[in-house]
Amino acid sequence: MPLIEARGLVKDFHRPRRRTGRFAGLRTLVSRERETVRAVDGVSFSIESGELVGYLGPNGAGKSTTIKMLTGILTPTAGEVTVAGVVPWRKRQDNARNIGVVFGQRSQLWWDLPLVESLRLVGKLYRMPRTRYEENLAKFVELLDMRPFLDTPVRQLSLGQRMRGDLAAAMIYEPAVLYLDEPTVGLDVIAKERIRKFVADLSSTSGTTVLLTTHDMDDVEALCERLILIDHGKVLYDGTPAALKDSYAPQRELVVQLASPCEVTVAGARTVESGEGVVRLSFDPAETPAAALISELFGNYPVTDVSLQETDLEDVIKKIYAGRS
Amino acid sequence: MTGVRWQLRAALILLGGAVRGAVQYRADIVFTMIAGALYNGAGFATIWVVLDRFEVIAGWDIGDMALLYGMRLVAHGLWLVPFNQLDWFSDHVREGSFDRYLVRPASPLLQLLTTRIQFSPFGDLISGLVVLGAAMSAVDVDWGPLTVAYLVFALIGGALIEGGIQLALSSIAFRTLKADQVKLTVDSVFNLFGNYPARIFGTAGQLVLSVIPVVFVAYLPASVLLGRVDAAGLPAVVAWLSPLAGVVVATASYLVWRRMLLGYQSSGT
Repeated sequence: MPLIEARGLVKDFHRPRRRTGRFAGLRTLVSRERETVRAVDGVSFSIESGELVGYLGPNGAGKSTTIKMLTGILTPTAGEVTVAGVVPWRKRQDNARNIGVVFGQRSQLWWDLPLVESLRLVGKLYRMPRTRYEENLAKFVELLDMRPFLDTPVRQLSLGQRMRGDLAAAMIYEPAVLYLDEPTVGLDVIAKERIRKFVADLSSTSGTTVLLTTHDMDDVEALCERLILIDHGKVLYDGTPAALKDSYAPQRELVVQLASPCEVTVAGARTVESGEGVVRLSFDPAETPAAALISELFGNYPVTDVSLQETDLEDVIKKIYAGRS
Repeated sequence: MTGVRWQLRAALILLGGAVRGAVQYRADIVFTMIAGALYNGAGFATIWVVLDRFEVIAGWDIGDMALLYGMRLVAHGLWLVPFNQLDWFSDHVREGSFDRYLVRPASPLLQLLTTRIQFSPFGDLISGLVVLGAAMSAVDVDWGPLTVAYLVFALIGGALIEGGIQLALSSIAFRTLKADQVKLTVDSVFNLFGNYPARIFGTAGQLVLSVIPVVFVAYLPASVLLGRVDAAGLPAVVAWLSPLAGVVVATASYLVWRRMLLGYQSSGT
């Protein structure tokens, strides 16, 4: 049985219908008319124990709303959801013991307390045996390099430090599932790298199931074996990043360096750009294998170097977002 | 692990955190307690001035009035000490910071209430106890085990009424995002009318105050203690059982809160 299962999840939000024209404010106030916005529209997926899944989509696609239904914060309008056998919104407190949650935009630490005090309170709320708590604390202090700010009040921490503290607070009680909602937003390159390494370690050593939302494709490239892409509240794609690249951007590029400038024409490849002894060729690896293309080039032209360009996930996602209605 | 015993333990854990957080602002603690005591002292001084001119209000002399005022203020302090964090509740809902209470293994209400410790309600409670203590020796009541027990139940009942009504009104914010104004208005009504014998507002006024139900907080139980049940205008048994009203109101309010919680919409991110 999958650890996380969503079947036909729907979430509607209601707000009073805005009036325009004369006395618009007053008429909005007295009107009982409401408009409904469907943020999540029949999302289904199942995630097995130990998977590390990227949950992607443009702003307003319904990512956070889905996560909030999985965590028990929001009650679904329709559909079913279970996490480790628990229906989150029915049994919030039972669900809370199975999950760790990190919201990049909002800390869950105690604002006025030193970081170590927040972690201690979390340990007690999750009824951790003392020795186990001490072990995990020591491990996380080490992994996340938290020693320099362990005794600093949370309100004085930098964003990167606070995020590391939030990660430690979400994982110190060893939940089976970790939800990360934009954990690297606003962080510098080093801080992002540190968070990614921590999540990768956690996933491989403790077998924690991770569901990650992010706008940073480097996060996804570094971490995720599986992507779920949603837009307008619907699942567009569910599979590996490689298969996504293949289906949305099947063309790959080969950059060829030539000893002397010349015109290059090869069957099965299209010249994208040429000049100053460099030619960029675009081809579909399903029709023209890269090896065949390269050997043909070496046979017919004064080639000094070739390099095969990796398809950038960022470009693929951009293409998908741009193509949406 | 969601039972009452666990909830109490969780409350103690969280309260420990709140105290540690609060002691960082020590000066604030002292000032707010002084301010709370001064505010309520001024309220009672107003009644004193009125009584000084008229000597009795609807047959209640200064001692009787002090008993009523003291009971009301103690009941007010008793609910405000644990429930003062409700004042920030609609902000939490509107900004989505209520989320954090829904992903921790303890009752969300309990987590909200133990977020921070406020000290001004202790000022209310202390000044209420001072007035009540003075009134108890001034009034013509035979303070035996029975009357004292009744007083204690009445105070708890009064706290449950005010607290329950504020909780139910707060939970409206789960749907409307803001319920501060209606809460404030109702609180003002309790503060304004709860301190006087309801009879002085006439039959219609008394009826309204019975429905709201302001008279159950202190006026009816004080009437019972002072032996004026017949003058309260309600059946004697209602007056005698008035402390139970708190249990009914608080239970109903908690159920309303639980129901409204399912409509929580969080915020955009």
